[in-house]
Amino acid sequence: MCGLAGIARREPSGVAVETLDRMAATLRHRGPDGFGRFAGARVGLAHVRLSIIDLAGGAQPLGNEDGQVLVVYNGEIYNYVELRADLERRGHRFRTQSDTEVLVHAYEEWGAGAVLLERLNGQFAFAIYDRRTETVLLARDRFGVRPLFYSEQNGDLLFASEIKALFASGEVPAVPDLQGLDEVFTFWAARPPRTVFQGVRSLEPGCYAVWRDGRLRVQRYYALQYAEAAAESPEDAGRLEDLLHSVVGLRLRADVPVGGYLSGGLDSSVTCTLAAAMSPHQLRTFSVAFEDRRLDEREFQLLVARELKSQHAVQAIGPADVARVFPEVVRHTETPLVRTAPAPLFLLSRLTRQHGIKVVLTGEGSDELFLGYDLFKETAVRLFCLRQPGSRVRPRLLDRLYPYLDARGRRGEFWHRFFLEAGPPGDPLFSHLPRVRLTAHIKEFYSADVRAALTGTDPLDELRASLPPEFPAWSPLNRAAYLEIVTLLSPYLLSSQGDRMSLAHGVEGRFPFLDHRLFEFAARLPTRSKLRGLREKDILRRWARDVVPPAVVERPKQPYRAPDIAAFFTPELVWYARELLDEPSLVRTGLFDPRSVAGLLRRCRAGSAVGYRENQAFVAVLSTQLWHHQFMEESARAPSGVVPAPDPALAERAVSS
Amino acid sequence: MDEQTVLARTRGYVQEAFLYMRPGLALRDHDRLFEKGVIDSMGVLELIGFLETEFGVAVRDDEISEENLGSLDGIARYVVSRRGNGSRP
Repeated sequence: MCGLAGIARREPSGVAVETLDRMAATLRHRGPDGFGRFAGARVGLAHVRLSIIDLAGGAQPLGNEDGQVLVVYNGEIYNYVELRADLERRGHRFRTQSDTEVLVHAYEEWGAGAVLLERLNGQFAFAIYDRRTETVLLARDRFGVRPLFYSEQNGDLLFASEIKALFASGEVPAVPDLQGLDEVFTFWAARPPRTVFQGVRSLEPGCYAVWRDGRLRVQRYYALQYAEAAAESPEDAGRLEDLLHSVVGLRLRADVPVGGYLSGGLDSSVTCTLAAAMSPHQLRTFSVAFEDRRLDEREFQLLVARELKSQHAVQAIGPADVARVFPEVVRHTETPLVRTAPAPLFLLSRLTRQHGIKVVLTGEGSDELFLGYDLFKETAVRLFCLRQPGSRVRPRLLDRLYPYLDARGRRGEFWHRFFLEAGPPGDPLFSHLPRVRLTAHIKEFYSADVRAALTGTDPLDELRASLPPEFPAWSPLNRAAYLEIVTLLSPYLLSSQGDRMSLAHGVEGRFPFLDHRLFEFAARLPTRSKLRGLREKDILRRWARDVVPPAVVERPKQPYRAPDIAAFFTPELVWYARELLDEPSLVRTGLFDPRSVAGLLRRCRAGSAVGYRENQAFVAVLSTQLWHHQFMEESARAPSGVVPAPDPALAERAVSS
Repeated sequence: MDEQTVLARTRGYVQEAFLYMRPGLALRDHDRLFEKGVIDSMGVLELIGFLETEFGVAVRDDEISEENLGSLDGIARYVVSRRGNGSRP
């Protein structure tokens, strides 16, 4: 895994190597194993490398035979072996064993567009500079596993794996985008292409962009589709088995050992079990464990680790740990957060790296494909209730949702009304309205200026307007799954809890469930093969029964959570929060009302802020202040002492070839 | 304890717990807390916690209703009647 950055100039006025070096320096954590750059008259490219495939030969920027096509690339193309064989049959000659070189030749063969990208199975973001046509192709994988941001400045294009590299160029100012922030406090993340910074765009998952003569054209090459079958076919179980082996097998392709994250749930148990069976090494597994027993899943993690005979390591998390790393976490996520959940994953990747592992498989994506989240059950139950609005019995099913929110399981009429009055089934966003409503409590803390600036904007209306034409024809649960992928999985889970946390310590996450073939298989299954009654991931459970310990297979879905307010009061409010949440800081930032925040802090200090709303509001306000402080006030300067030493030989070679 | 006392203390709690970020909102005794967006289903659970500690009433699931917990005056009536009846199993 790696980081990339680059600049394309409308006029051939040159790209300074110092600028490229500054950009690359901010990405060093993504690629501690190597550095390379190319500085031309019109285009400059920089790359930091985490060596995983072809450790000796995969340095970048990498060119074709005559150096006319240069690539910087972050990610993996898992089917590079097959693509290479195909390209060799078509007459291409290879110098290295790397997947990067396959990309160069694939570009030569198939050009800058969907014909190329549809052939790639992987998680990637890359930039290809074609010196013959003076074009730059930017592309990103189907689900947005790997990030790619860009900014257009007077016809120049700047792009990078992380936004901080754009700021480090000195050519992109860091200014908050209030609509982007409003999306965070609606969906948990800004919705691509929007980000939380003005003028900075995120290339949408499944899209590519071609830059030429100062103009950028973005196009989609992959769209999520749900062509649901009427019934499960007898072959589906076998097909699932074949696919699971294939998606995990492909993701074990590496010239370094591949480990696994074990959450204690079904999905990571499946990926680790398959990996243990197929891997030539004893599998190394890694887990987060919480001192707070309500959040802890170590019992199930150890059960699976023992079963797999894996070499298992545990990152224990106490409340003080979250507060200690939270500022650094926000520097990596580059966005305000509504949960502290990324912080334990930040510590987990550090532990993983300390154990010498730089590639891990995780179970991410399964809940979206096989309807694992409570949100899907909630949608099904709300629809069931609304078909018989007078029923007193049906709403009781709602009492079975989110059992972890109240220890005594109390619910009552208001609980039912919250779900049943959240919105009509005809609303395209029906499934997500309760969560949106809950998240939007944060907006009560907005300053008057922010409220005024956001007047007339509505993130929900924008999302409705963005939905694909096929959307209304999909079943309600497939609509919910689609919304979950585009609003939460791609911009939040794969980013703030995924890419950013693992690569903070040079660890690459791989996501077998997000192989597009498995997605397409799951999308064609009838809904009841996934959510049968209120039993989630039915077809996956049926398959896993013979493979994964029964206690894990039969276990209800446990959401991954981390301590929020409690993490920052141990018992005094952590020092940086005291500074950032005081009135002068809040006034300077201008985003939240100081009196409201003072009220929240009063409640936190008194130990009364124990509910979901206030936990979320506290994390949102604190992370926003940290984010503002680090990006708008300190600017995105490179951490001291990590400016990479350029590899002159490599830069030389790329320039002269 | 009379209804006025319960009402005053509950109002203080609701102001402190749910309205500190909405200082401009004037809440009347009969205003519907749920409709006005003062309290949602999560907030109700917090409110119940307050009633149990502050007034010593154990709120049963079937009592979590609009009638009992939907407004400040409703809460006051409910708490007084429950305290008057002693604590039921």
